[in-house]
Amino acid sequence: MGSSSSPAKQKQKRAIASTSTASSSSLPTTVSGFTVLPIAYSSTTIHIIYARAHSVAKQKNAKGKQKEELPEGRTLFLVNVPPDATERELTVLFKSCGTVERVVFSTGGTSAQQDTAEDEDESGDEGEEGGVGSGSEEPSGSDEEEDGEARPKKKRKISQPEGPKVVPLPSIPLRTFRRTGHTAYVVFLDSSSLARALKPPTKPYPWPIDRETPLGLEHYKALYSALRPPLDVVRAHADSWMEAFEHEQAKKRQESQYRKGEAIVDEDGFTLVTRGGAYGKTLGGGVGVASKRFMGEQVAGAASGAGSKRHRKKKDKKEKDAFYAFQVHEKKRKEIVDLKKKFEEDKAKIEKLKQSRKFKPY
Amino acid sequence: MDLPSTPPQHPLHASRTLSQNGVAVPYIRPLPTEDTNWKVAFEPPSEIVLAGSWATKTAVKGKDTSKYEVDVAVAIPSSLVQEKDYLNGRVFQKRAYYLSAIASALVNKNSPLPCDLFFQSTSGDPRYTTLVLRPHESVEGFRKLNVQVRIIPFLPHSPIPLQRLSPSRSNVRTSGQDHDSKEEPTPLYNTALMHMITPKAHLLAIHALKQDVPAFSDALTLLRVWANQRGYGMGSRLCVRGFEGKGMWWASVLDMLIHGEEPQPVAVKKTGTKRKPLGKGLSSYQLFKVALDFFARHDFAEQPVYVKSKDGHRFPPMSYASHEAVFVDSTSSVNLLAGVPLSSLDLLRYDAQATLETLDRSGISEDPFHTVFLQDHRDMFSRFDIVLRVDVSSAVMRNPSAHLVADHGSVYNALIATLTSTLRRGLGNRAKAIAVLHPSSDVRPLSQALPTNPSAIHIGIVLDNEHAFRLVDHGPPAEDQESEQAKRFRDFWGEKAELRRFKDGSITESVVWDVKSVDERTHIPSLVVKHLLRRHLGIGAEDVKTWQTQFDALLKAPESIRSLYEARGAVAGFKAALTAFDALVKQIKSLDDQFPLAILNVSPVSASLRHTEVFVPIAVTPSSRVGIPTTASYLPAMEVIVEFEKSGRWPDDLRAIQKIKLAFFERMATALMAAAKGLQASVVFGEYTARTEIQDEAALDIVTPDGWAFRVRIWHDREATLLDRVINEQSRVPKALRRNITGEEARERQAALEARDVYLRRFIHAPRHHRVIAALSHKFAAFAGTVRLTKRWFASHWLLCSHVSEEAVELLCAHIFLRTGASVTAETMMLPAGVPGTKERGFAQVLKFLEDWDWTKGLVVPLDFSDQDVATADASPSASGTAPWSLVTQFDASGHVWTSSGPNAVVARRITTLAKATWASLAQSDSQDLEVTRLFQHPTEDYDFVAELNPAVLPRYYQSVEADPSIWAAKAQYANAGLANSTSSVLPGFDPAAALFRDLTRVYEDTALLFYDVMGGAQVGGVWQPSLKNARPFRVLGGYSSLPVSKDGSRNKEKEQGLVVLNHLAPSIEMKRIGSGLITGIVSKID
Repeated sequence: MGSSSSPAKQKQKRAIASTSTASSSSLPTTVSGFTVLPIAYSSTTIHIIYARAHSVAKQKNAKGKQKEELPEGRTLFLVNVPPDATERELTVLFKSCGTVERVVFSTGGTSAQQDTAEDEDESGDEGEEGGVGSGSEEPSGSDEEEDGEARPKKKRKISQPEGPKVVPLPSIPLRTFRRTGHTAYVVFLDSSSLARALKPPTKPYPWPIDRETPLGLEHYKALYSALRPPLDVVRAHADSWMEAFEHEQAKKRQESQYRKGEAIVDEDGFTLVTRGGAYGKTLGGGVGVASKRFMGEQVAGAASGAGSKRHRKKKDKKEKDAFYAFQVHEKKRKEIVDLKKKFEEDKAKIEKLKQSRKFKPY
Repeated sequence: MDLPSTPPQHPLHASRTLSQNGVAVPYIRPLPTEDTNWKVAFEPPSEIVLAGSWATKTAVKGKDTSKYEVDVAVAIPSSLVQEKDYLNGRVFQKRAYYLSAIASALVNKNSPLPCDLFFQSTSGDPRYTTLVLRPHESVEGFRKLNVQVRIIPFLPHSPIPLQRLSPSRSNVRTSGQDHDSKEEPTPLYNTALMHMITPKAHLLAIHALKQDVPAFSDALTLLRVWANQRGYGMGSRLCVRGFEGKGMWWASVLDMLIHGEEPQPVAVKKTGTKRKPLGKGLSSYQLFKVALDFFARHDFAEQPVYVKSKDGHRFPPMSYASHEAVFVDSTSSVNLLAGVPLSSLDLLRYDAQATLETLDRSGISEDPFHTVFLQDHRDMFSRFDIVLRVDVSSAVMRNPSAHLVADHGSVYNALIATLTSTLRRGLGNRAKAIAVLHPSSDVRPLSQALPTNPSAIHIGIVLDNEHAFRLVDHGPPAEDQESEQAKRFRDFWGEKAELRRFKDGSITESVVWDVKSVDERTHIPSLVVKHLLRRHLGIGAEDVKTWQTQFDALLKAPESIRSLYEARGAVAGFKAALTAFDALVKQIKSLDDQFPLAILNVSPVSASLRHTEVFVPIAVTPSSRVGIPTTASYLPAMEVIVEFEKSGRWPDDLRAIQKIKLAFFERMATALMAAAKGLQASVVFGEYTARTEIQDEAALDIVTPDGWAFRVRIWHDREATLLDRVINEQSRVPKALRRNITGEEARERQAALEARDVYLRRFIHAPRHHRVIAALSHKFAAFAGTVRLTKRWFASHWLLCSHVSEEAVELLCAHIFLRTGASVTAETMMLPAGVPGTKERGFAQVLKFLEDWDWTKGLVVPLDFSDQDVATADASPSASGTAPWSLVTQFDASGHVWTSSGPNAVVARRITTLAKATWASLAQSDSQDLEVTRLFQHPTEDYDFVAELNPAVLPRYYQSVEADPSIWAAKAQYANAGLANSTSSVLPGFDPAAALFRDLTRVYEDTALLFYDVMGGAQVGGVWQPSLKNARPFRVLGGYSSLPVSKDGSRNKEKEQGLVVLNHLAPSIEMKRIGSGLITGIVSKID
């Protein structure tokens, strides 16, 4: 986006920000290794974004592609991004530090919740993946640029030259509201910008609001119409998608080294035994095996309960549990203890029942 | 006791002496005048007897912290009474003086008793005035006993010949001049006199019974506790009229059941089957049940009852003809039911029926002990279908009769008696029971001679739903115009009576109640009451208050909006919606040849199509929607599910299925639009970002040419199997071979779980639920109304949809109707007694239930009654765990299909609190006036912050309880502006406030709990998660907006671990930003 910020502009911004109260000065500058970046929402209200340089954990280096996408030297990791933030707004926010190449949001959806137990660094990788998936299928993807790389996986896999193209549903640049406290990555063009961004600011940044993407009532109106695309688009999308799907299926069938009905034999000569599909065999073959549940039902149906019980008994008899004298004693003692315990439990239960009784005559 | 005797003196003179002590003499009317020629005197009592229940140890603790009563009967020496004193109440005057003399002696004592003295008149009848001694708190022994002493004068050996007191004799000469009229009997007067004679005999009778029947006193206790809980007794809250001081009656009922009845002479027409005397060996519970059975079956109006007595009838049974209900005690001298209105006995019958039903069902539902004996059933709104509050202070009888007044003892009692008999006659079989309710008579200071009567009474009506809403009351046919019957009919109904010719050719006198709408039809019973009160008692409409209109108003759009719609030729009503649905089904089915698969089923799943939507569905043709203000533009889309025939041609892939659905929708939309002119259809996608592709989310919105909006979804049953496969795949593989679930797969599985949840709820449970609820609303007339009111209540307390699903509310209401033992499937029209007859009563019962409900225990709703289902349902709630609000039906053993997304424990607790508060203000209504809308006003002080929405842009604002008509009226002023503003296209289901609320809930899921009234609420309330207010160590995925805590202070050791607290200011700015244009401001209670 815009060229590097001139100091004059910066000054101007500072001047605006200076109207805010000095409350930010009482804040610590860093928290757990994160730089505290106060953002002024209004003259009295401050929002905090926590920032840190993005670093990739060693064990995660295997995923080389991620390294490319989020270059270590010039990526800023942000925590507690405003829920309605767009890429443009973040770009404008950090304009004073340098030009932003792109912004990657974490999903902020349910996946973040699942992985809360994970370590921070892992969360970075998590966020990256989410960012890819976030725009998928949803006509209200956050931004055009993001949308471009954020085609859903299935679309990507069929976007190889030989397959038919899927006509996408129209996407309208609408805001995505993410969960509060979510994270984002800001990739700068220049690594020097990172250091500037991490320097604790003397005055809180004002929050830029992007007027072009609608908020509030306008947003919902736009969303309402976006969710109802014209019928011909829907038709084109559905038809082309099905075409692509069938193409894919056919290709899979062709490519598969296994034929329907043929056993799968690996290089060691073992036959793979798998469970079949709806009609006993799925794509790719394999020897059909009835499901365990099905077998169980059959057994239960045929010989009722007695048969299976006898089966178990036979197994039990193999070892005697009261062979030695001490075993007998132990068993008896255990029985008595159990009996006592049970009695105590029952007593407690009755006590509880008495407590819960509504009728208290005395 | 050395009470000074006073010589005979003139009554007025005597009272003057006593008034020096501050004691008035409760002379009855007509008061003695200067020229009365009889004298009053006092002599020490010839005998003092401990009478009543205290003496026989059968006393029962009263209601409302009233005390036990010790009845002390004081014998008036027979020398004070002359033979002719039975005439014109002279004996009562003497009794009154005797009582006052005792009172004044007690007051006057040099060492006064540590007691407060009061007069009290049973049932407000001065003839039954007694002296009440309440011990001071300081008296040690008495405080523990919690008793009060009642002094009752009685005549052990009266010189009055008993045959003069036969119920058919007239003992009041209503004034000098009326020798012309024949003497009408004075049954109540005679009974009152008899009551003066009997206390000792009654005491002996009960004592004998106690000796005779071992279980007698326990059974009597059970019976009286039961009766007290239902207001048949004394109490400061509303009690059923006529049951004060009827202790002897309850005992006599048991006596009758044990010993049988006195045979009646054959001359009296034979009265049904003879009741056989029961043995003495029955247990108390058996006796209690037999007594209830007697109440439930016996028709007091038709069959007199004479308890078996030692020496036959004292008075010939014929002589009781002038009594309304007859129950003569075992001494065969007193009709114990004299003065008890028949309508009150109807209520007794109704209550007994309800209790018997509860007891009979005891095997199925919970222990009935609590409901039968422990619960207070005196609350009007949950007890009666219609409640009216009548101010009788201005009432004047149309045919005032001195005789009636003399018989009843006071004008007030005569008035109430007329009122009950008039209403009973006028309502006829519309009502199962009519009860006049007022607090029972209270004590009054000694200086006040006559009792005061409550000016406002309540009338409670239990309706018989089969007849209650009949439009026409038929009278005698026209042929006998001049007959007595016809005259009486015309006299009774006044100007409302008219001759009408009916379809079957008959011409009869009739009364027609004209109503305009279905809603108004439920008002007919109260219309009847109002008319009769005006005609017979001169009580104007302003003195009669009903709450029905106020409740109705809650379920209607405001007047101005309705007229707007009506002006555009709107079609409204559930029937109309159903017709529109049927038309749509026909249209879709006629398109069969346009689809590759045949359509099997089209099933509705919308509250609008099962009569349970709060607001009546309304439709305006899309072209005439112009000019309807934004605040009333909401058009709900009714959900419909289409099922295609099974086919192998569906793809075996979840994603592909969703796409195929799209194709179907597109085809359907094009075909429908081609087939019907003016129909709009568009494919709608799911709204949320986090949705996966395997979940069913697309739908088809259809707006019919008439303006009805539908949302069609397609059900494909293969989806379930495919989803199950994704979820279950691992379980079949042996553990050793099981692959580790990678992140990708786990996510997929999670998505599949969610998708299956949606699938089951949307396609399996919702249609089934719809069918059951639709059946219920056909079966019970009041069901739909109850659901609508209850939904309204939940909505106006910011809970509906966001925390409590509509289906959960419907199940709750179903429980209220089905717990009575009624069943959806039963063929019979006879409903059990406890089923509410109007929506108001149903709503009150739901509230009462919510207030008491222990939601951790869950609830079994027997939607379909058959034995094996009940067995399974009974077992399940224990298994359902501790999650709140488990609503188990036989379709849903876990009970969380409709409550999986709330309410959580916090909200459930809040619901209980809200229900308690609402119930309290509903219960208070017997003492103070009830404003119904107040029950639906939500208190906002508990919220941490409240966001104000701009009402002018909310499409549902007009539905709000507190909607301000000026918001849309202002728009209407400028006709042009209105035209420009309102969008020409119809937006079915467009509600930005709801969308905003959903977004905010999602964004601040872990930070705050948000509340919002889905029906046009202009506020969103929220509570911050309390644990976030404390400082916590900083975490990257904390999931909330935080502020670092400055480190100075004692927190040195945690220096490296930054602490943060919730930043509650910034989120409110964010909310305002997200909802800009909608949210006008946020008021935060924290600073």
